[in-house]
Amino acid sequence: MPPAVKSKKAVALPAKVPTARKSKFQADLAPSEDSMVRILKAELQMTSNTDFLTDALALFRWAVSERKRGHRIVSESSTGERKILLFPRLERVAPEVTLPHVDIRWTDKELESLAELASGQPADPTDALIRAMRQ
Amino acid sequence: MAVTIRRLEESDEVEGFDCGDEPLNNYLKRHAWTNQQKVSIGVTYAAVDESAPRTVLGYFTLATSSVPRDQFPQKYVRGLPPYDLPLILLARLAVDKRFSGRGLGHAMIAEALKITLRVADEVGCRCIITDAYPDKAGWYARYGFLPLEGTAATSPQKMFLDVRTIRRALSSESSSAERK
Repeated sequence: MPPAVKSKKAVALPAKVPTARKSKFQADLAPSEDSMVRILKAELQMTSNTDFLTDALALFRWAVSERKRGHRIVSESSTGERKILLFPRLERVAPEVTLPHVDIRWTDKELESLAELASGQPADPTDALIRAMRQ
Repeated sequence: MAVTIRRLEESDEVEGFDCGDEPLNNYLKRHAWTNQQKVSIGVTYAAVDESAPRTVLGYFTLATSSVPRDQFPQKYVRGLPPYDLPLILLARLAVDKRFSGRGLGHAMIAEALKITLRVADEVGCRCIITDAYPDKAGWYARYGFLPLEGTAATSPQKMFLDVRTIRRALSSESSSAERK
């Protein structure tokens, strides 16, 4: 005879696959920038901010990788006029070609002074130097 | 002004450049490109504005150098690594006088020091040396450049800045940013 109350069979559930947490991104935009985002979304026929950010990120990532390889980003018009993209932050990732080597003429006294400074403890940075490195 | 600093290019407009010093003007107009591309004895970086990205408003030139260890006086050799001392030479830095007072010099020295750190990270370098006109030595001193003794009175003043000091500046910058 079957039991009156059906007992639940223990079913082995598959282990929960951890899903990557999605990050929230919030930005304070000036009205002009906000309007630019809306116009661009309309032009690109995008409805969500997430899609907009994802595509912008892909484009930015590509630009960074190109500049990292030393490539320049150029637009060319139908008449062949070329414009090179100059974007200060991108220039920061551009590789430095090895600087050429030159010989410097030193006086004995200069060499002594250089040796003394180079073998000693480094000086503390000045305020102007700290500001320069902050740029 | 939205200034970008990048390597000098052949099509850059340099003929109108005037920093008020003829040797520095002449170097940019006649030698900078050749020295960079053909004979490889210095790389020139140009400051340009977004609105006229071919017009050079300021420039600086960098090269590497080294001092053989056996040239140093014996009493200091012990404190130095057992190799030649690698360094970067900031050979020239000039701003077109029509654009002076707008922070271009500061932007360019900042870029030169950042390049120095990158070179130090990639191939090693111990310090940056500059040849300063005597009346400009004070400007370099603001950034921590120290005058070397023994420069002839008629020559530019050689000045020294330790890469470790630049790194400290960068780390004080990071720690102050973290505190914010």
